[in-house]
Amino acid sequence: MKVLVYSSFTFSYLNRARVLYQTLRRFHPDWETVALITDEPPPGFVFDPASEPFDRVVWAKDLGIEAFRGWLFRHDVVEVCTAVKGPFLHQVCEAGEADIAIYLDPDTALFAPLDPLVEMLGASDILLTPHLIDPNDDRASILDNDLSASRTGIFNLGFVAIRTTGEGARFARWWNDRLLAFCYDDIPSGLFVDQKWCDHVPALFDRVKVVRDPGYNVASWNLSKRKVAITRDGEILVNGATLRFWHFTKLGPTGDVMTKRYAGDNFEVYEVWRWYKEAVAAATDPAIPERWWAHGQFDDGAPIAKPQRVLYRERTDLQAAFPDPFAGGYQAWWKAEGPGRNG
Amino acid sequence: MGQGDVPERKRRALATAFDPVFYRTVYDDIARVGADPFLHYVETGWREGRDPAPWFSVSAYLERYPEADGGDPFAHYLLRGWSEGCEPSPSRHRERFLERIGASRKPITIAPVSTPSEVEIPEPVASVHVDPDVHVEPDLLVDPDPQGEPAPDLPPGLTLEAARALIAADFDPAFYLSANPDVAAAGQDPLEHYLLAGRWEGRDPRPGFKAADYLEVNPDVAASGMDPFLHWLVAGRAERRPLRFELGFRGRIVAGLVPLQARMAAAARAAAGIAADRPRGLAPLSAASQAAGLHVTFSHDDFTKRIGGVQLCLQAESKGLVRRGIDHLHVFPAVPWPTLRPAGGRVPLGVVWNGRTLGHFAVGDILKALGKRRAGPRTTLAVHSLLGHEIGETLDILAAAGARRGLFWLHDFAGLCAGYHLMRDEARDCGAPPAGSAACRVCVFGPGRDLHLSAHRRLFEALDLTLVAPSQAALDTWSAAPDAPAATAVQVHPHARLVPSGRFAEAAEGPLTIAFLGMPSAYKGWPVFTDLAERFRDDPRYRFVRLGSAAAPGAPADHIEVSVTADNPHAMREALDSARVDVAILWSLCRETFSFAAYEAAAAGAAILTGPDSGNIAAFTRTGGHGLVLPDEASLFAQFESGAVQSLSRKVRRPEICEIEYSGMSVDLLEALS
Repeated sequence: MKVLVYSSFTFSYLNRARVLYQTLRRFHPDWETVALITDEPPPGFVFDPASEPFDRVVWAKDLGIEAFRGWLFRHDVVEVCTAVKGPFLHQVCEAGEADIAIYLDPDTALFAPLDPLVEMLGASDILLTPHLIDPNDDRASILDNDLSASRTGIFNLGFVAIRTTGEGARFARWWNDRLLAFCYDDIPSGLFVDQKWCDHVPALFDRVKVVRDPGYNVASWNLSKRKVAITRDGEILVNGATLRFWHFTKLGPTGDVMTKRYAGDNFEVYEVWRWYKEAVAAATDPAIPERWWAHGQFDDGAPIAKPQRVLYRERTDLQAAFPDPFAGGYQAWWKAEGPGRNG
Repeated sequence: MGQGDVPERKRRALATAFDPVFYRTVYDDIARVGADPFLHYVETGWREGRDPAPWFSVSAYLERYPEADGGDPFAHYLLRGWSEGCEPSPSRHRERFLERIGASRKPITIAPVSTPSEVEIPEPVASVHVDPDVHVEPDLLVDPDPQGEPAPDLPPGLTLEAARALIAADFDPAFYLSANPDVAAAGQDPLEHYLLAGRWEGRDPRPGFKAADYLEVNPDVAASGMDPFLHWLVAGRAERRPLRFELGFRGRIVAGLVPLQARMAAAARAAAGIAADRPRGLAPLSAASQAAGLHVTFSHDDFTKRIGGVQLCLQAESKGLVRRGIDHLHVFPAVPWPTLRPAGGRVPLGVVWNGRTLGHFAVGDILKALGKRRAGPRTTLAVHSLLGHEIGETLDILAAAGARRGLFWLHDFAGLCAGYHLMRDEARDCGAPPAGSAACRVCVFGPGRDLHLSAHRRLFEALDLTLVAPSQAALDTWSAAPDAPAATAVQVHPHARLVPSGRFAEAAEGPLTIAFLGMPSAYKGWPVFTDLAERFRDDPRYRFVRLGSAAAPGAPADHIEVSVTADNPHAMREALDSARVDVAILWSLCRETFSFAAYEAAAAGAAILTGPDSGNIAAFTRTGGHGLVLPDEASLFAQFESGAVQSLSRKVRRPEICEIEYSGMSVDLLEALS
């Protein structure tokens, strides 16, 4: 059974991704690991894939996406890093490179083997982990967690695992198609990047398993209902189940506040986070600027504002007129004739 | 996950974060016409570019995040911007606002002190019943003019004098001086110091209020730049804002952990500053000797200079050797190390010869000096601790001395892990799980575990060592560890025993006296004791004391000064007896291998209260009937809540006072070795 695991990120997340791949190698040295990167290395940083803890790199620009530069411009960094997940997964299925394909967000890390997932994929073709597997009881938690999941998606797409045939392959094609056209953060329109789409999965596909084991995809949004314990045998348990992987969303003060709000005196949660922060710090290369993204700016170095992307996204005439909007033409139009003309 | 735009949620978010005092203070026209500041902001204010709070600038936010244009930028931030990493900028009116309410970070000119009766002090807000589900406009609670018609020159918020009076009413001068010995030493008035400097330096005004914690749990207050204590007094208390995230003391320990590599690097830097003494200082090692033998010991420090359990053992060992006419060479690291020392980078080692410190020497010089020594009739060894030692050097020194047979003392569990108390992340007993376990991988000591295990395995394989445990409990822990190195033999040899004196403890009248003994460190259970003492500090049934050499600043217990020394080893027992201590809280979080404190408490007639993870304290307490072993901290608090702990008073128990008879430590065992 050949298993392929991939993550999608930019160079500012390379430190987190390194930690993920290190943990993947520890538990699954025989699985193929792929880094799907939508970025270019920052000046001064020498990127040597051979010395990284993953097997190979796939650049988003090599996925064969039609009119790639224009398509890329229509997305901000979160949108595009989630959008490329679909095309890559579909291509893995088409190529027959693996029996099982697993996506993990770069800010996840393994604490135990994921073998039970492989077993689940004997009886199912698609595995998803919901944000919540237990309803919250108090109003603040419902506002923070339940309603947030209702808006942004029932399942957290920091993880998805499929068989590369059957319903898994059909899902990958459908996801590819939707993400190429509709992978935006536009909640009023019913979109939240790649994630909200997957609310449809149990309705559209057979052989779907909702993984309700609390040891998978532990994160600040479900800590209100998950208690972490570390035993004298050395196991880390979540509600009594082995911790498989944690989703370290929002590394920094914002994440700390949400974690403290819901972990309370469950100090084992802070132990897990402490380790992660130390591991990420050790994996951080100071040559990479903190918020680096090569495609966050026009070719002349001017930052791209979100409204500039949104307008380009909405107007096919602009897309036709400026097939490479990173080059000067669209920028000049924006200033002379577009919304930028008023300063 | 993103945030949606739900009207009810939006209203709640805005109402919670909006600052009506700020709004009325900086926009005079609002106060003048008597408009409701919140409604004004929601309906027209944000469109006019007015700011809703001192920490939020509408115009700056729009400039930075143009995607927020088209709606209220404040709502955008509160509902989704913060979660996407958007950062607000302070209002350009902030400084003016803070100055007007007397909360500016700028140097404050203190007006002549007004007595509380001369200033208008708001109603004591804590007495106002607040339904947590009902939003309370903070301005209603602090507005000095309930008619809503402030005089044109008066700010509608607090005056500086009112702020001073408000702080004074809730400020604890005794606590402040205790927690800030520098202020006490300078003879400064504590309140004046707090007002002028302390509150901006992060100093805390009273027990139970930590400025840093308040700011963390209330990020809007932090962003506003206001004095957090003043904020709590005028608004936060009425709003029932949390004072802190309730992480528990273990969570706080984890938050303060320093990575092991950083600790080791700090030790290496300190060691680099130590110059080796000239080798002639080692002459006594090479001199012709009539001694009956040589005994070589290793530990983590100079036992002649410091005091503690291991040092007491070595002092007794050294004296016993002198009495038997055996030379004693003791080797220790020149600076304290948190772990064993990895190979590479030689640093000097300290040398004590027959109880006299000779200095710090290069390892090569020590080896040469031992090489010149004429082989004696017998050479033995005892390893008390290898912290700070590099195993290769240790084995070289022992080989040069001709020592192969000896004792390995189980004073701690450094033979199993760099976390030699077996406290995972210094927060909880770990039980020494398998080295590759998930627990060890997340633990701060995880990266040092292999170093300790492999070095000790090498030690035990190279030498003929008897593992000596000061208690059966310590030996049981070692034996149960799956990775423990194998010793030639094992033996339990307690450091002391109790000898009944025939005298019974005198009962004391008054409250039950509860004591903490020794260093106020977390692994000895100090946070548990302080939580207990703070909870019951005003309870007339109890009195809390701490017996130790130095006072613990800000401690919620009376300090009784006690220094245990080689000349006065019974000082703690005598102080416990003299203070009529009823109960000793020996809530060690780690597995104590012996615990002199437990013997001292029992000898003085104090009952011991301990927890399940305290190693030999729990075993000693249970087997000797010296007190209670409780299952958890909740049970400890329950004992005090119900008063059940009163059954442990000296009056009820009438315990017998005991003498403590110390063993000869290694010397008792050397005969068997030879």
